[in-house]
Amino acid sequence: MAEKLLMTEADAKQYIVVKIGAEQYGIDISFIDNIVRMQKITRVPKAQGYFNGIINLRGEVVPVMSLRVRMGLEPDEFNNDTRIIILKFEEHGTLGVIVDQVKEVVTLLPNEIDPYIPDTRDDKSQFIKGIGKQSNQLISLLELNSIIEEKEAI
Amino acid sequence: MDVSQYLEIFIDETSEHIQNLSDCIMNLEQEPDNKDTINEIFRAAHSLKGMAGTMGFKRMQHLTHDMENVFSEVRNDQIKVNSAMIDVLFQCLDAIEGYLDTIKSTSDEGTEENEAIIKSLNDILASAGKGDAAPAPKKEETPAEEKKEEAKSSNYEEKFLNGEFTDSDKAAFKEQEDAGLKIYGMTVYIEQSCLLKSARAFLVFKALEELGTIIYYNPSSQDVEDEKFDFDFSLLVATNSSLDDCIKAAKGVLEIETAVGREVKAEELSNEGAEESAPAEIKEEAKALPEATKAPANNKQSSGGNGKQAVTSRTVRVDIEKLDTLMNQVSELIIAKNSLVSISSADGSGAQSQSFTEQIEYLERITTLLHESVMKARMVPIESVVNKFPRMIRDLSKTLDKKMELVMTGEDTELDRTVVDQIGDPLQHLLRNSADHGLEANDVRVKRGKPEVGKIFLNAYQEGNNVVIEVGDDGNGIDTASVKQKAIERGLVTADQAETLSQKEIIDFLFMPGFSMAKKVSDISGRGVGLDVVKSNIEALGGDVEVKSTLGEGSKFIVRLPLTLAIIQALMVEIEDEKYAIALGSIQNIEDIPVADVKYVQAKEVVTLRGSVIPLIRLDKVLDVERKDPEAEAKKTSLTVVIVRKGDNYAGLVVDRLMGQQEIVIKSLGKYINNNKMISGATILGDGEVALILDANTLI
Repeated sequence: MAEKLLMTEADAKQYIVVKIGAEQYGIDISFIDNIVRMQKITRVPKAQGYFNGIINLRGEVVPVMSLRVRMGLEPDEFNNDTRIIILKFEEHGTLGVIVDQVKEVVTLLPNEIDPYIPDTRDDKSQFIKGIGKQSNQLISLLELNSIIEEKEAI
Repeated sequence: MDVSQYLEIFIDETSEHIQNLSDCIMNLEQEPDNKDTINEIFRAAHSLKGMAGTMGFKRMQHLTHDMENVFSEVRNDQIKVNSAMIDVLFQCLDAIEGYLDTIKSTSDEGTEENEAIIKSLNDILASAGKGDAAPAPKKEETPAEEKKEEAKSSNYEEKFLNGEFTDSDKAAFKEQEDAGLKIYGMTVYIEQSCLLKSARAFLVFKALEELGTIIYYNPSSQDVEDEKFDFDFSLLVATNSSLDDCIKAAKGVLEIETAVGREVKAEELSNEGAEESAPAEIKEEAKALPEATKAPANNKQSSGGNGKQAVTSRTVRVDIEKLDTLMNQVSELIIAKNSLVSISSADGSGAQSQSFTEQIEYLERITTLLHESVMKARMVPIESVVNKFPRMIRDLSKTLDKKMELVMTGEDTELDRTVVDQIGDPLQHLLRNSADHGLEANDVRVKRGKPEVGKIFLNAYQEGNNVVIEVGDDGNGIDTASVKQKAIERGLVTADQAETLSQKEIIDFLFMPGFSMAKKVSDISGRGVGLDVVKSNIEALGGDVEVKSTLGEGSKFIVRLPLTLAIIQALMVEIEDEKYAIALGSIQNIEDIPVADVKYVQAKEVVTLRGSVIPLIRLDKVLDVERKDPEAEAKKTSLTVVIVRKGDNYAGLVVDRLMGQQEIVIKSLGKYINNNKMISGATILGDGEVALILDANTLI
């Protein structure tokens, strides 16, 4: 156990587990700036379909994207569990993503993550960079870069 | 020695000296015998050398040293200024700028030796037949300087009681003395060769602050910061430490020649300040007198030496980031104010809210004024950008082998700092364009009866809320017929269509990517990148470009830029339940138009207003607004139309409701959303809601 703890400090990464549809996804905590409740989103005309619009986050304008639509699922139905996760990227700035529910924070060691080979025929699979396994649950770890960078192709 | 803390000062001052040198060398080319210019150049080169030396940039120092040698010969009439020499000097400047750029990015001068330039410099020296004459006068100079220093060193006087003491100084003095602290008066002498005097003085202050409190400065700390002192300054320090410690601390700073001091009692200064000669102080007074007469003499010397610095500067350098922060905070304040306004208008009833409303109005006035002041603080003259253009035109004149001159007016026109930083490239493009495409070859000009030397002009002036910069030439003008031909060749229009195009539409082809009229590709132009980049750069700044051209007489590009970027007055409109802001600057007027008055031209809706036909733009369609009740919409009998204007074109934007005028803070949508150009940004309203800003220019 002590050994495991030591390893935890050195190599482990923390992920926030969120629910989108029936599946669980993990978002690297180091990119997360904030998690806010659903609020009024101002629609931006002619934007990409998966962008719901922009919100006012304490005086800053932040674009908000629907992860569901981004991954080809049904559009969101907002309820009390819906959250906007504010991600912060050094180069591109802030971005909000809508998730159905925020569940917990998990710490994954390298040996608890299986690599995931993206299926080139499947657009959606490029958003996943690995599968985390912990206490009988599977967590698809999101490749945030491809989520934000794929914007040109669509 | 750790010099990193001076790096910024060094970079600032070096850029200034380089610009100064460049201006002077341009002058020198015009009037090779102007002694003032030569002296000015010599001084600037000398300062550059000294600064580079202090900072430990050996290569830069080497180069500037050789440059200085050349100037020194010119000054002594040993070398005549000629065109080849000017070229070499400009190369030197470019090399120095290269060093500076490297220093800016890496804090190091890099490894470029620029031997070729140094060799040409030495060739100039050698060709004058005085190759070894250069070091000679130098040698003479040095001993003289040393002698001066020696003379001075025997004469370190205590000057700390010479200044005037105000009552508050005295009170502070008394307070420290009562607290049981010892007060020492000190006079610190800086080496004459020191270049960053204020920085040294600052380090002395810092060292002494560690030991105690400095209660009095002579000259004042502000003057010391602005380098308004000779090579010594005095101060009074209250401390627990011994006098020796204090002197040692002061001497510990580099380039400090020496420091003298002794303990001072409160009575001494009270008498000094009031100019009453109490018996005990006669000696002191007598000593002060010759000192006092000497000081102004010294001052005169130094002000004669570097004339320009003598002008009292009433400005401070502020980091642009600090201004940006201030600007952001003002923006936040305006958003907060807007929400107060919306609250007050929401429940504005009763006598109590009367005074509340008044205060809100007061707050509104103050924030508007505050915003204006901050905007003004961010304004800089376009001079910093345009003053490198004469040099550029000179170089272009040589490469293109055309005689031309650049006439600039309105260099003092002010623009927001961020705009000024980005306007340089577009203007440069336009000037190159004029030089290359605009002006005819010299012999053609003479044949056409024009003056041989082509004229390029750059005029800047303010017009309402815009700054206009015109760049033009008295060359051939745009040959619309050949532009038309080119457009047809490239398949942009058919020959039939081309016939119906207006002159303006034809000129617009020039702004299309990849469209070049140059017959052959050169360094300067012809690659077809240029005008389209100019246009997009200027549009990114919220401005636009217009062209006026007369064949045979020349052409003129008119660049119009907004004065401010961050905060604008806007009209808020509503479409269904979505709110949009339209910049007040582009709105002409607002009309209620009966639906029956809407006519159709080529299947497009238009209205006739006061004789002119204005196309209607249904914002709900353009913006894909979902109609909750399309039927009610169809039954409407009148339309609310906002007439917007871009140059000479008008359009009517159909909106549902007008919400009034508001000061809005422009925020970017970020890089993620592929918005089309219609939306130029977003803003946060008083109630926290986000509204989009419509760019009327792109709708027309």
